[in-house]
Amino acid sequence: MSKRFLPYVINLGLLVAAVILSLAIGSVFIAPADLWEILRNWLTHRPLPAGLETYSFIISDIRLPRTVLVLLTGAALGGSGTAYQGLFRNPLADPYLIGVASGAGLGAVLAMSIRWPYSFWGLLAVPMSAFAAAMLTVLLVYIMARVGQTVPTTNLILSGVAFSAFATALTSYLIISSQGEVRRALGWLMGGASQSSWQTVLAILPYLVIGLGVLLMNGHALNLLQFGDDQAQQLGLPVMRTKTVLLLAASLATAAAVSFSGIIGFIGLIVPHVMRLWWGADYRRLLPLSIMAGGGFLILADILARSVMRPQELPVGIVTALAGAPFFLWVLRKSKNQGYW
Amino acid sequence: MFRKAIITLASLTLILAACAPKLPAATEITSGTETPATPVTYTDGLGRSIEMTGSAQRVVSLTPATTEILFAIGAGSQVVGRDTFSDYPAEASTVTDIGGSMGKYNTEAIVNLKPDLVVAGGINPPELVASLETLGLKVFFLSNPTTMDELYARIRIMGNLTGADSGAEKVVTSMDAKAKEVDAKLSGITDKPVVYYELDATPFTAGPGTFVDQLISRAGGTNFGAKMDSAWAQISLEQLLVADPAFIVLGDSAYGETASTVSARPGWDVLTAVKEQKIFPFDDNLVSRPGPRLVDGLEALARLIHPEAYK
Repeated sequence: MSKRFLPYVINLGLLVAAVILSLAIGSVFIAPADLWEILRNWLTHRPLPAGLETYSFIISDIRLPRTVLVLLTGAALGGSGTAYQGLFRNPLADPYLIGVASGAGLGAVLAMSIRWPYSFWGLLAVPMSAFAAAMLTVLLVYIMARVGQTVPTTNLILSGVAFSAFATALTSYLIISSQGEVRRALGWLMGGASQSSWQTVLAILPYLVIGLGVLLMNGHALNLLQFGDDQAQQLGLPVMRTKTVLLLAASLATAAAVSFSGIIGFIGLIVPHVMRLWWGADYRRLLPLSIMAGGGFLILADILARSVMRPQELPVGIVTALAGAPFFLWVLRKSKNQGYW
Repeated sequence: MFRKAIITLASLTLILAACAPKLPAATEITSGTETPATPVTYTDGLGRSIEMTGSAQRVVSLTPATTEILFAIGAGSQVVGRDTFSDYPAEASTVTDIGGSMGKYNTEAIVNLKPDLVVAGGINPPELVASLETLGLKVFFLSNPTTMDELYARIRIMGNLTGADSGAEKVVTSMDAKAKEVDAKLSGITDKPVVYYELDATPFTAGPGTFVDQLISRAGGTNFGAKMDSAWAQISLEQLLVADPAFIVLGDSAYGETASTVSARPGWDVLTAVKEQKIFPFDDNLVSRPGPRLVDGLEALARLIHPEAYK
């Protein structure tokens, strides 16, 4: 096996293992033999033996859509985190740096404070409002940070911080003054894919394909940006346009991911770093590897979230930081690649 | 630039909606061995029509209040799943726990119980109802009652759904009798002392539109929180000092608040209720769960506020 493909093989292997674990583990115990029987019958389109219908339904309609949704969310956060870190040339950057999370939080809580009718649109109010508010926040941050024809990175970060503080304060105010929607709002703000279904997966898929697709095509551009804006420009990169496109693509993927799954922290920050420590800083490889690793890592975190306190479920955002931070510190200590950034 | 951005944003949002969940069509996965009966259609708290053939034999309850109602009307043996917080009556604890903390329920466990009816309550968001229906479950949303009469109607509906009609009627009759007994005891009372009901030590109190508010006034008191502008209101010590309640009722006693912790709070020592030590721990579940025990809460409050009537 050539060394070029080794990282992809390892990441893909981890991802597939995570998916299988996620299908096998749940609050209802399904024996590995039964799981194998169900999967085999699906693949061969044979009718299921009697007694396995409920298990089959649990796997196909509860565990599988949830696993796919979590995979997509993690992939979006991993990919966007990598792009943000490259774009801002800052190791502290994560997908929420310029206000996607705080904007989405405000949108979601705003929608939760209204009693919507039980209808198609009423049920979509929260994710739609979260998505729209997230994208609106990013656009406002971007417009505010503009100086003439350029958008200086420092301005972007500062304007993002200011907008985030403003939106977070409004969110807190809405939660405090709400009539008992606090539990729901907190659950959403800490992240968790309890509203998962195949329709949810289909709803966010187009955004992730567009957002992550654009990022994947810009690996080389991100490499050039690491030399600094001026040098990248001299090397023939349309810096301003590239940065805008990357920013929008990463925000689009993140906003779609959080609109149904809530704010899941930390993953967009550490996954790119772990991948960089393991496989080096070439963005052409870093982007696809981070996308795969983000999906795999979030699936593992989600398994923990729903099994640690069975039958209760933890918000997955708690797990990503609680399990992710020690893991990241371990990788950092083990790495021979100190001062890699 | 800005206008273009807004238009793009709006259309993106619409696309998100277009690919998003369709309202699920309810289909049943399994139904037990029931005698064929004519289907009856009920309208639930979300305005949805629920068609029932025969009575529900395997019920999952998502809130403590519905669990209490189901057990009180004699349908307890039909309850196959209940949320984590359903701790009353004691028999409920032997029923399978299906989660519910932070609003997250264990859908897998619910499906695995093969219920023929899931009863959701006012604390559950409509999205939860929709996602359970997508899984082929029959969900009845029991919206929170705001008056005793509404609660009686809710209890009767639970009776209809589970075939415990006569049990439900008995519960309603005895609740009504108990409430009227309290009214009779307090009939001669003219003095209505101010009662501060504490939900949380931050401090939060129960405002208008809550059962706490209604029960305090029916128990011959004046709810300090009645003047607040929302149902659950955070208050300042200043307002409390001005109102100077004669009673402090600790709905948060389960979280470690006692007469001595309240007396030790800085500035609280000047309150009449603190000076006279009229501070009482209270079982908040008696007044916060819209179920059959509300009348017990009413009686307990009446005994606290007007002990002279119960001599």
